[in-house]
Amino acid sequence: MRRPIVAVIAFVGVLLAGCGTAGAPAAGPSTERSLILATTTSTQDSGLLDELLPAFSRDTGWQVKTLAVGSGQAIELGRRGEADALLVHSPAAETTFVAEGTAGQRRLVMHNDFVLVGPAADPAGVRGSGSVEALQKIAAAGAVFVSRGDGSGTNAKEKDLWAKAALAPSGGWYQATGQGMGATLQVASEKAGYTLSDRATFLAQRDNLALEVLSEGDPGLLNVYHVIEMTTRAGDRVQPDGARAFSDWIVSPSAQQQIGRFGVDRYGQPLFTPDAGKEESALGR
Amino acid sequence: MLVDGLVEAVRLLLTGDQDTWSITGLTLRVSLTATAGALLLGVPLGTGLALGRFRGRRVLLAAANTGMGMPPVVVGLFVTVLLWRSGPLGALGLLYTPTAMMIAQAAIATPVVTALTAAAMQQVDPDFLVQMRALGATRLRALLALLAEARLPLLAAGLAGFGAVVSEVGAAQMVGGNLAGETRVLTTAAVLATGRGQFALAIAFGLVLLVIAFAVNLAITLAQQRATVRQPR
Amino acid sequence: MSIGCRNLVVTAGRRELLAVPALDVTAGETVAVLGPNGAGKSTLLRALAMVGGGQLRGEIRLDGRPAGTAALRAAVAAVLQRPILQRATVLDNVAAGLRLRGVRRSAARGRAHPWLAALGITQLADRDARTLSGGEAQRVAIARALAVAPRVLLLDEPLTGLDATTRADLLADLRSVLQQLGAAVLIVTHDRDEARALAQRTVLLINGRIRQIGSTPTVLDAPADLDCAALLGYTTRLPPALTGHPTMLVARPERCRLLGPTAADPPAALVVPGTLRRVVPLGGTTRVDIDTSAQPVSVLTTAEVNEVAGARVRLAVDVDDVRECPPGPGASAVGDCGTPDREEPAAAGGPGCAEGRPRSRGRPTRRHLR
Repeated sequence: MRRPIVAVIAFVGVLLAGCGTAGAPAAGPSTERSLILATTTSTQDSGLLDELLPAFSRDTGWQVKTLAVGSGQAIELGRRGEADALLVHSPAAETTFVAEGTAGQRRLVMHNDFVLVGPAADPAGVRGSGSVEALQKIAAAGAVFVSRGDGSGTNAKEKDLWAKAALAPSGGWYQATGQGMGATLQVASEKAGYTLSDRATFLAQRDNLALEVLSEGDPGLLNVYHVIEMTTRAGDRVQPDGARAFSDWIVSPSAQQQIGRFGVDRYGQPLFTPDAGKEESALGR
Repeated sequence: MLVDGLVEAVRLLLTGDQDTWSITGLTLRVSLTATAGALLLGVPLGTGLALGRFRGRRVLLAAANTGMGMPPVVVGLFVTVLLWRSGPLGALGLLYTPTAMMIAQAAIATPVVTALTAAAMQQVDPDFLVQMRALGATRLRALLALLAEARLPLLAAGLAGFGAVVSEVGAAQMVGGNLAGETRVLTTAAVLATGRGQFALAIAFGLVLLVIAFAVNLAITLAQQRATVRQPR
Repeated sequence: MSIGCRNLVVTAGRRELLAVPALDVTAGETVAVLGPNGAGKSTLLRALAMVGGGQLRGEIRLDGRPAGTAALRAAVAAVLQRPILQRATVLDNVAAGLRLRGVRRSAARGRAHPWLAALGITQLADRDARTLSGGEAQRVAIARALAVAPRVLLLDEPLTGLDATTRADLLADLRSVLQQLGAAVLIVTHDRDEARALAQRTVLLINGRIRQIGSTPTVLDAPADLDCAALLGYTTRLPPALTGHPTMLVARPERCRLLGPTAADPPAALVVPGTLRRVVPLGGTTRVDIDTSAQPVSVLTTAEVNEVAGARVRLAVDVDDVRECPPGPGASAVGDCGTPDREEPAAAGGPGCAEGRPRSRGRPTRRHLR
């Protein structure tokens, strides 16, 4: 009984001692102020928030708990008062949500664009086509198309495009993963299929994928991000002051500058375009 | 790709990469605390179920055994519903903290510990407590002697509970939110890294988890081997 | 210290397991409780130690005064039927009783050591208790109980399940240990020889009730009723129809002899005719079953049996070896001799109680026969 058990316990103890000092997170509710930000997996996976949020905490003293879920789920969390601020990119759903009355201010933050990616061999021949036309070609060819299928902003945009193409995709070639953008891209890469992705996530994962950008720049592929503050109308425990602090900060010049610089070092181009204060209709390339 | 991943994994671990080690530390902290809680709850429960004679005892035993097979995601869902702001315990503000994860993991591990403790206690001679009392022990001392007698199967029960929670991802994700530096543990970090295409990192996390799981299972096996009687005559 | 009970009734659910109005064991005395399986012997032992299951009504007394659980816990040590040892060395097991009472480990080991010698297991001190044979384990269990220096010792069938040699050895060692102990000892057993070897007084317990109690030689020699007789080995029954005697007579098969048709009737013996049914060799002895006009009887003989089945034979038993027995539970079996202070002084010249009374249940005199 003695030796092996002692060895195991010693091993665990050493691990704990070693790891405990390497950053000790608060075990219970934060004593500092902390707000819950519900955002999309694309903002999380691009790495933008990893860079922005520490600056926000430094500047305002608010800690942020980031829940990276799809836009659809983020809006639902806001509706139920489980989140204080939302950073999402599903404009139609957002408008409906704000009309319900529980949300506060909604402000434009940034945009980037979606791209249609697919295998270099391009079996459906969509290279260079517009977004709607490309989808029509894919459906006609019955080529594999991988969808998010999770109610996210990307998913909403994709459905919007199918609607514009006057098509209701179904059949073995149309597959829904129900997962985030990264996972969906990997599935598309493995299956040599097409998918719709935001540019940032695609660029971040490009090296691991056997996919190329085949259609881009179409005004219909614009991907616009807004920040929405929640109010106590959604729930008693909502922290509107934290929401206001985040919302004010992310449209502030310093944050907007950081957004505009994000990704240049790594990818040679910025992943997002800061848009705070602009008119929405003025957006587009 | 796999080999690259392995190499990268070893490099990360050996150079003492801050993130990796702090994630590992949190994993152990959460799971060990949860297991301790499960032992505190499960050992008395299991002992009571094994030794008690009351109506509904067998139903409760069946419930404990069923609980062992409960998917962690389901437990995570229940705990989330309890802890979110509109929930009954929302005022505690525990959601998306390590404490919430400890609660969820304790809920996962307790049925495991309970069922295995009950099984261990039923292996002991049914007259054991009677004989201890007949030698002059108080009820408490007799119970402690019983626990000491079953120490190896009880250890196995605790290790099994730990093994069940250290490797689960569903409850940790739901209840912890996988917040960087706060509630990110090996399993959720591995899933995130995979989703981002950072395969080497994901494999690194997987390796650490493997080492922990192996150590736990090795300990369980050794404990069980010592529990079996070898008859030299 | 003496131990006893008054109006003890143990029930399990609606079933009554044991009903003992009074029983006492004085310090320094060993009492054997003899009874068939299921008689309630273990129940009685556990009730006296207050460790039994079931509902217990009545009083347990220490030194004549009612005692609670704590007092009993301190004064009594009991050894249950199967030896229940812990996962530890033999020495630690023998010390376990002391440790359970709060004695520190080193002191407990020190006090346990002499008892290893007393039970002849010193050479096993460092052995793993799980590797012991039945006899060795039993010795450890007994040593464990003795090590706490109890003033009352209760042993539940200490020699059951052991092979003959082991039994004989342990019996001898146990006898000498008990003699030196000076405690009140109660031994539950279903073996007459154990009772004879170890106990001064014997209690016959049948179906949860005391049927007979008295000094061991008396009780074993003069059963109070038929059930007691069967328990004590008087299994050859000679009803009035066979013998002409007013009451049932019983004898031990090994005291009965088989007479051939031509042998003369031995003097001072009871003779009963019958037909030989079967002859069963049992190793050292031979059992002969005889059908009579009343009921089958048995003879256990070491002599050679030449007669065959169907032969007309006769059973003969010395009058001295025959006992008179009333049929049911004797009306005055309990309470007459339950307590030492009420026992008749042995002035009547015969052993034990009820001797010399007009309604004697002792031996029928020769005048009564034939």
